[in-house]
Formats: sequence, structure tokens, C-alpha cells
Amino acid sequence: MRVCCGLTGHLELARRPDLYGTPVIIGRWDEHVVAASEETLQFGVETGMALRQAEHLCPQATFVLPDEEATARIRELVSAALYDLAPVVEVRDEGIAWLDISGVATAGQSIRAARHRLLKAIGREPRLGLAPGPFSARLAAARARPGRLLRVADAREFLAPLPSRELPLDAEQLERLDLLGLRTLGAVATIGPRELESQLGRDGRRAALLARGLEPDQLVPWQPPLFTSAHRQFADPVEDREALLFVARALCGDLAEELGLRGAGAKQVRVRLLIESSDEEKRESVVRHPLSSVVELFGLIGSWIKEWQPRAPVTELWIELPVLEAAGRRQLRLWAGGDGTSEEVIAAMERIQERFGEAVVHRPEPAFLTSPIPSERFA
Amino acid sequence: MQAQNLQLDGAIDAIRLRFGSHALTRAAELPSPQPWPSRTPIDSLTGIGGLPRGRLSLLTGSGTCGKLSLALALLAHATHEFAHATVIDGGGFDPWNLLPFSPELSALTVVRAPAPEIAGEAAATLARAGAGFILLMSEVPEHWLGPIESGANRSGTVLVGVVDAPGRALAHASSFSLALSRTEWVWERGQLIGIQVMARCLKNRVAPPLGETALEIRYPLGARPPSDHLVHVIEAHVDVQEVAQCVSAVV
Repeated sequence: MRVCCGLTGHLELARRPDLYGTPVIIGRWDEHVVAASEETLQFGVETGMALRQAEHLCPQATFVLPDEEATARIRELVSAALYDLAPVVEVRDEGIAWLDISGVATAGQSIRAARHRLLKAIGREPRLGLAPGPFSARLAAARARPGRLLRVADAREFLAPLPSRELPLDAEQLERLDLLGLRTLGAVATIGPRELESQLGRDGRRAALLARGLEPDQLVPWQPPLFTSAHRQFADPVEDREALLFVARALCGDLAEELGLRGAGAKQVRVRLLIESSDEEKRESVVRHPLSSVVELFGLIGSWIKEWQPRAPVTELWIELPVLEAAGRRQLRLWAGGDGTSEEVIAAMERIQERFGEAVVHRPEPAFLTSPIPSERFA
Repeated sequence: MQAQNLQLDGAIDAIRLRFGSHALTRAAELPSPQPWPSRTPIDSLTGIGGLPRGRLSLLTGSGTCGKLSLALALLAHATHEFAHATVIDGGGFDPWNLLPFSPELSALTVVRAPAPEIAGEAAATLARAGAGFILLMSEVPEHWLGPIESGANRSGTVLVGVVDAPGRALAHASSFSLALSRTEWVWERGQLIGIQVMARCLKNRVAPPLGETALEIRYPLGARPPSDHLVHVIEAHVDVQEVAQCVSAVV
């Protein structure tokens, strides 16, 4: 396994890019600190401490209420942005983005692209680490300078001098390690997993494996959502077909942009018109080849709207893509030499045939090559 | 010459000072696209050792200058290298002409585009889908050049266009443009066996432009079966003149 980790700071902080460079503490009153910016570390603020204590330590910080929904949206955005760079991508709210680049032909390009996309999505240069597993990659990234990559060839050697409090254990377990004299990961690695398990339970076994660089944890691959839609509500009900077409085109543009970001295609298209009599009319179709661009989406939806005759003025237009193509097929950049695109090219040719007729696309096969009549030479 | 260089450096510094350091970049400093080695002498003219992937390359010149022979040689080679080599044909392509170049016909697809609009849409769709090589032998409307360029750029498609004289939009969209002109016919024992061609680099956005080279294109001769035919595109005598310094403005 070869894992690249990008550290950007907690995604809660990315909600307020205007506060970058100033001390920020995220949390609810009477609860714990959810996230704190790097600028608060010098005052002793830590994630998980009581907010009252954090306020006492760093009163000049800006206190922001957490918004889990907005953070989840940012996580989805970052995951979607990184999706086509590695077969397995996992992004966590703590601002950790892991990419398993094992087997990726152009790993260097993927890492460079990951840096740029994280910078674009979060607004800050990520710290990057490349190591044999997610744990060592995260620790490597934490020690890299912003915008730089720290490579780790031998995880055990890299982890050995690091403090044992880097292990994912609770405070009590960490204190026990300290009492046992196991203050570095190297010291923890010398203890067998079973011995540590007898001291700390199951977490002890995992900690021993992590300290040895054996990486027992697997990444949880992000899967793009399989449904998307866009809609527009009209202030005044619309009767004009041109206006509907105009809005439909704009919605197709939005959807195509979203599909492009996810690297997906629509296998089914549904258009719903909500009309004045609080009724609705709809039309839907399963398409033979996934649609992903504005031209493809509007080609179909526009043709429906052109012949649609709603019973009453339209109050709302919905375009829904209830079935998106299985995402795995669209990670095209990961294929070496463009091999993975063959299926896409064949689908594209069939789309051209559907639009302009079978005869437009022709695969010449030798028939009577010696014939003096050109049309007979190839089938 | 010294004074001119000084003046030029002064002008470059002034532009950079006013519009930023990225307003004017030396072509040698630009990140070059991945090359596709076509194994023809034009590789040495691109400056990156092959035709640029994801960019449009143009072969231009008046009739019987050898541009189509060169394009067919590229296409035949592409059929061996890529799963899909496509010709967007406006009505003049006959696969028969390709046979002397020993193509792999199973990888060849011809899109017969009766109208430029169809040619544009087909080229953009195939470039976006990731066809390995596209030979454009048809006019393409200006508004399709952007989607073709971006699609090819995304997928790394090698795009080659063959035109007598490119329009302004096509010339602008191209990253590498080669002008071919016939210098003389090649005769042997009273029989026409090929042409000598001067290939001159008109535009190069992927590397500092190199000057020109002489090519000799041999036609297939005799009544041999097509599989035995082989058209040679060889470099007659390499005469590549390197331009000392080239400055390219990045907009």
C-alpha cells in the first residue's frame, strides 16, 4: 500500500476562510472544543478540552459555533475533487485526506493535482505525506511544511523516534503507556501486540501494530452519491416555451458541472413540471449511454420541452438524475496509456451514430482489396 | 545585435513589471505536454520528441506537398499504438490510401461528417471520451474548437489536422503547425517514386520553435499486394535551424 495524506486543518475552519491567520476556536458553549486553528496552539488550546478552558487560555480567539451540515458539504466537495486521482479516497472532518495511490501509473501527477485541488477547495496549502499506510502518512504530513511532501520509505524507522501520544488511544491509555516507560513509538514497537493487548485491551494490539508500521487500518473509500437534481421555482408562472428552454439549459449546465466534478454520468433522466393547478407533469427516460455534458443533457431534455404542452403555466421546473453511472468506471485518469477509455470511446461513437445515423461512423474492413471499384474494397 | 537583445530584454522586463512575471514566459520555461513519438522526422521539429498529446497539431500546405502522406503515416502508426485511431473525414478519405502504410485496421474508425457541425461535435465527443488519435480532415466550426481542445487536453488525445490553409481560428487553436512545400519530384529510371518536401515549423506553443527540415516521401510502386507496400517518410538531410531564443506570451 502507498498512501498520500493531505492535511488541511479541521474542515470546520474551512467554513470561515476569512479568519485564516487568526486564532479561531470552534465549539459550543458548555461543551468541548471541536476544532482550533494553528494560531491557538501556542496558547495551549487543544481539541477536546472544555470550551470555557479554551476561552480562558486564548480570550482573543474568535469563537464560532460548529455546523456539521456545512462541514459535511465541504467534505463531499473535497472528496469529489480528489475522487479521480486515486482508486481509494477518504476524507475526514479533521481535515485529513487520504489517497491510496498503490498501482497508480502517474502517482506524482496525482499528488501534485491533490495539492492543487485541496488548496482550491480549502484555501490553504495542505501538508503532504507519502508513506506505506494511512497512519504513517498522516504523521509524515503533520511534519511536512505547507505545500510540501514528506516521503517515508521505511515506516517503522520513521515512526520510531516519534512520541507515543501520536497513537490513537484515550488519555488514560496514553498515561498507562507513559507509566510503562513507553514514551516513543519505537519503544512501543518493541512490545509484542499480545503483550500490549493484555495491558490496554484491543486498542493496545492495534497500537503495537501501528507503532511497528504494520498499518492494520484500511481506508474507507468515498463513494459519490448516486442521485442528483436541480430545480428552479418561478416567481410568476411561465407559459413561454423559450423561457423554459432557457432555464432548462441553465439547469443542465449546473448538473453537467456537478457530474463533471464527480466524474459521473446520468443513466436515467427525469423532468418534472409543477403547474399552477398544484399538479405535476413528468417525463423520464433511461438512456443507453450515460450523459454527462451540457450538450448531451440538454439535447435530450430540450427535445422533450420543445414538444411538451403543459396543461397550465409552469411554476417549477425539476431536472432529476435518479440513477448515476457506477462511479468506478469513471476514474479514467488512473489508467495507464488511456487503456481505460476504450469503453468510453465506443460509447461516444454509438452516441454519434444515435444522433447522426449509423452510416456516420464506419469501421473499414477489407473486402475485395483488388477491386477497381473503390466502394467494393472495404465492407 | 547586442543592442537589439538589450532592448528586447528591457521590453520583457517592462512587461513583466507591469503585468506580472507570468504575463510573459519563455517557451522553454513552459511545462511541455507529454509527447507521442510518431517515429517520423517531425518529432525533431516539435522540440519535445513527439507530437504533443492533448493539443492540436496542423499539417498545412498546398496540394501535392506531402501533408496527407505524412498524416497517413502518422495515422497508420497510431493504429498500432492506440486502441482507437479515428479519422474525421469531410469526404476525401479512402482507407485504400492508408494500406501502403501497413495500418492495424481493427483500430481504425472513420467518421464521415457531411457537415462541419457534425465533424466538430464528433471530434469533441471523441476527444473528450479519450480516443487515442484523431486525424481531422474536415473543416471544424470555430465554436467547436474550444470543446475539442479542452476534451483532448483532458484525455491526452493526439489531434492532427490536415488543411491546405488554416483559418484564423484553427491556426489560433493549434499548438504546433507545420507548413509543407514540395521542393522537387523524385524520379528514378524515368518513374516518379516520391517527392522532396521542405517542412517548416510555423508555430510551436510546446517548445521553442525549431526551423525546418527536408523530408523525402516515397510512393508505393509496383504491383505488389498492399501488405507488402511501405511508404517511407525519411529525413533527406537534416537541416534543423534552431532559433536562439523564443519568447511566448501567455494570455
